[in-house]
Amino acid sequence: MPSSLKHLLFIVAPLIVLLAVLPGVYQNHLLLFNFVIFLVLAQGVNIIYGFTGYLPFGYVGFFGAGAYGFAIMVMHFQTPAVLAVLVGGLVGVALGLLLTPLLRLSGAYFAIANLAASLAVLHFVANPALENITKGPYGVSLTGTFNPNMAYAAAVVVLALTLGAVVFLKNSRFGLALQAVREDAVSASMAGVNVVKMRVIAWLASALVAGLAGGVYAWYVSVFYPDNVFSGDFSIFAIVFALFGGVATICGPIVGVIILYGIYNLIGFTTPQYFQLIYGLLIMGLVLFLPAGLVSLATRRGWHVP
Amino acid sequence: MIKKASVVLAAGLAMATQAFAADAPAEIKVGTLYASSGRYASISMPVFNGLKLWAEQKNADGGVYVKAFDKKIPVKLVAYDDQSNTATASTLYNQLVTQDKVDLLASDSGSVLTAPAATIARDHKMFLFDQTGTGASFFSKDNPYIALMSDPVSTIWPKPVADFITHDGPALGIKKIAILYATNEFTGTQANAFRKFVKDSGAPIEIVYDQGVPTETTNYTVIINNIANTNPDAVIHLGFAPNDIAFLRNVQDAGVNFKMLFCIYAGLETELLEKNVGAKGLEHVFTYVPPSELEYKVNFGMDMKSYKAAWEKAYPDGKVEFGFNAVAGYTTGLVMEKTLGVATSLDQLELRRANFSLSGELKTLDGTYALDETGGQIGELTPLGQLALDEHEHVKFISIYPHETATGKPVYPRP
Repeated sequence: MPSSLKHLLFIVAPLIVLLAVLPGVYQNHLLLFNFVIFLVLAQGVNIIYGFTGYLPFGYVGFFGAGAYGFAIMVMHFQTPAVLAVLVGGLVGVALGLLLTPLLRLSGAYFAIANLAASLAVLHFVANPALENITKGPYGVSLTGTFNPNMAYAAAVVVLALTLGAVVFLKNSRFGLALQAVREDAVSASMAGVNVVKMRVIAWLASALVAGLAGGVYAWYVSVFYPDNVFSGDFSIFAIVFALFGGVATICGPIVGVIILYGIYNLIGFTTPQYFQLIYGLLIMGLVLFLPAGLVSLATRRGWHVP
Repeated sequence: MIKKASVVLAAGLAMATQAFAADAPAEIKVGTLYASSGRYASISMPVFNGLKLWAEQKNADGGVYVKAFDKKIPVKLVAYDDQSNTATASTLYNQLVTQDKVDLLASDSGSVLTAPAATIARDHKMFLFDQTGTGASFFSKDNPYIALMSDPVSTIWPKPVADFITHDGPALGIKKIAILYATNEFTGTQANAFRKFVKDSGAPIEIVYDQGVPTETTNYTVIINNIANTNPDAVIHLGFAPNDIAFLRNVQDAGVNFKMLFCIYAGLETELLEKNVGAKGLEHVFTYVPPSELEYKVNFGMDMKSYKAAWEKAYPDGKVEFGFNAVAGYTTGLVMEKTLGVATSLDQLELRRANFSLSGELKTLDGTYALDETGGQIGELTPLGQLALDEHEHVKFISIYPHETATGKPVYPRP
């Protein structure tokens, strides 16, 4: 059996089925929805950081742009929500295209420039002069399309597609070429890899994923402000979850989200007063002892982690 | 025969009473969120502490009277820390509704953290006690599951300021005004409303400067010079507390003396502003007069003096400032209590009916509780005032407008 099929059957399918069934047994659907959103975003970070080495501190820019892409389609064109989600994804891609010059930078310079770009998008959207288009800082209310069950289903579909893309990257020549570029761009170029094209495709795929997630998020929450959907917490969480599990794998970001976001909520529900302490210690422990993420516990022993 | 019937009736009544008592919950669960850290902590913690103080006080007294069960029932405050994170807030609101199954739901402070609550409350058909989320997008005729407790909707908040400028301004020599605002819902909406009030008034007032800046702005030096170049007779600055602090500091540093300077938080969080700007920097600044500076006659709950004393006893460390938001949290508690005292069941639409029946009737330390048909708060108005220094160089409020509540005359131009 090809490894990509194995990954789809034994990792992606069970997770998707589990997430499809869970709303029937657990009532806090928003918690489940947020799990799905962070799974999508962590995998989006995985695509761009895990496979190319670009750390997108401003990843939320695509997410927020997707949310506003959805909102504009619904408010001004009365499009069905599903179509608006797709447009949200395309808005993410369009923003990604606009920001492709950032790929000339690397390391901390790219991370900071990306963060600045996301803030610029936030202030562009929140500009009162654009009130007629984005509602500026006054927030949007999309109660006409409000349908949490359908939005949840759409989020699960987006997750399935994203995981499919990561499985492809993990098992294809394209993914290998990307990893080669990440390790040594010059050597990869000498070996015939089109470095610029590879990076741009990964960058846009990552933007598409975040844009779709933003569109679905807007569909579910329906009332939001620029500060809600451009909150830097989305970037930070997605990056931390992906790193915690281990990037450039399929399982790493999934494990990271399930464990870390699970603990986050567990502490939040039980002992919120110790939240910063416990969460801080966990992340410090990760940085000090498992810099390559949880999956490195297995890879150090020579076990293969998909 | 009569004796027999009386015995049967008495037994029946006893059984009915027993069943009634058995139906009564052991506690009334009030669910809310607070932000102990992050961007909204400074407006969230005073609100939460005010609500907590109300709950503790009621429980010490045996609980709140619940008409549905005709008895006093203790209050259990179920509260989670959202850390100013909206995704976390949405999960936690849902937790309160679906897992903790709270009887009453109150949102965190401010519109950004109220937004997820508005959606969730509506989805679960739960009446939301919106504490200070003034966003116009929350209130619509087709959403019966929300009411704003403790401050007026943003669209009517700046009316006293606009009325003062347009009615009294021309006589004082105010002809040109500058508007500077932070681009967020709370202050952006106020800027829009203020602009509209001024234009609609037909008064001979010209807006010579009108600019929005990001809420994160911390340096206003260039902006202040740009404003000064337009020679305005009044400057209306609409921002959050950190904006006001930075703006007022920069005004002092630049040595610019605007003839009239209005800031929102100089009045709403005076203790905080005084700590950061200094009393001199606040002297003659125009601002909203918060309920904590007004002695509203109350027909329910503590008056301002008693509440402040209770606050200082409950929170002697002074880590959380007493001000507008501290009053808001306590007011939410009072409105909840009164709602429970009127509602004939804990059904959410009945709670709404009971809550709306208080409109115009309930007078708390925050003023008269009055709602429009969408649940927007239209009572509890904040008059325009001006800050002055007393003989001990402490900041004090002079109420300026409307004239009925005025306690003094405006100092214009600022010396």
